[in-house]
Amino acid sequence: MIISCIIVEDLQVAANYLTNCCEKSGSVEVKGHFSNVPDALSFLNNHTVDLIFLDVEMPGANGFELLDQIAFSPKVILTTSKTEYAYNAFQYNVSDYLMKPFTYQRFVEALQKIQPSKETISTNSASDHIYIKTDGKLIRLNNDAILYIESMGDYVKFVTNDNKKYITHNTIKNLEEKVSKDHFLKVHRSYIVNLHKIDDMRENLLFIKGNEIPVSKANKADVFRRLNIV
Amino acid sequence: MNNPSDVNSFIFNAEIDSNYLHSLYGDDYIYLHEVFATVLNDYESLTDNIEFNYSSGNLNALKAAVHKIKPVFGFVGMTAVQQECQHFEDLCGTVASPEILNRDFEALKNKMFQSKLVIEEEMKKLEIFNSQSA
Repeated sequence: MIISCIIVEDLQVAANYLTNCCEKSGSVEVKGHFSNVPDALSFLNNHTVDLIFLDVEMPGANGFELLDQIAFSPKVILTTSKTEYAYNAFQYNVSDYLMKPFTYQRFVEALQKIQPSKETISTNSASDHIYIKTDGKLIRLNNDAILYIESMGDYVKFVTNDNKKYITHNTIKNLEEKVSKDHFLKVHRSYIVNLHKIDDMRENLLFIKGNEIPVSKANKADVFRRLNIV
Repeated sequence: MNNPSDVNSFIFNAEIDSNYLHSLYGDDYIYLHEVFATVLNDYESLTDNIEFNYSSGNLNALKAAVHKIKPVFGFVGMTAVQQECQHFEDLCGTVASPEILNRDFEALKNKMFQSKLVIEEEMKKLEIFNSQSA
């Protein structure tokens, strides 16, 4: 499988090196290199990619501001050495950090992290349940029992109506394609919710049994379309 | 990346960690020449940015500018200079204004100037080496 990507990096030597690594891998196609956030955003308004290599400290705008403004949820690999971005990285479903300069081997390891885990979940979108692999066993979760699914970096957390939490190795992007479309909707890059469980919605927040779920601007229209508003 | 046939006789300047460079580029001296050239191409704007932010007294911007140039030294194998940049970045987080860092800044500035000479010299050497290996 070829992974499409863009590189958002204002240091030319780093961008060139990354481009070389992508070419060498044979599995990553570089769709563009942008040295600032507005140019990258302009491209992403008309194109989707699987992956963004993102430098955080960019002239004019922070790299995370780019992620705030795009209407889809690509994988993200940060190319920075600042650990102070760890919290944001978690929020934005960042798959890995690459500290510049990095070896090709380290690059390959980062790529391996973005491959979706196909073995940790078993379902089809028409089914009334899914199986998740957690703590070394397969657990059945009925769709009706799931309140929402939250991204935790390379993992996701299933929260159920008996307030249990199940963590499994997977991504929101992968799950979005696998869970029942009748029940579930992605409302934010980090959240999929069970539409049947929403108690109320205020501004850009959904409430499900006391849990606050953010709704992104990009997904808000979808949410309204799917809610049974009279 | 390309692979010149005559690859084992290039002697790097003592300021350059050749093992580190090898871990990044293997024996691809043609690509390495490109790296040095690219670094030199951007070097002045990166160092000018550092000087400007120091002169204007903007500590956060100074820190960010040093952070930006830091990996450049890694790409050319000057890992000790990269660490000096990190040290200066750390210092920026401990003081209230850039003037307090005057001596450290002058030392870093001098190091960056000397480093540029090394990079220029190595690029020339690589150019000759690659033309002889072709």
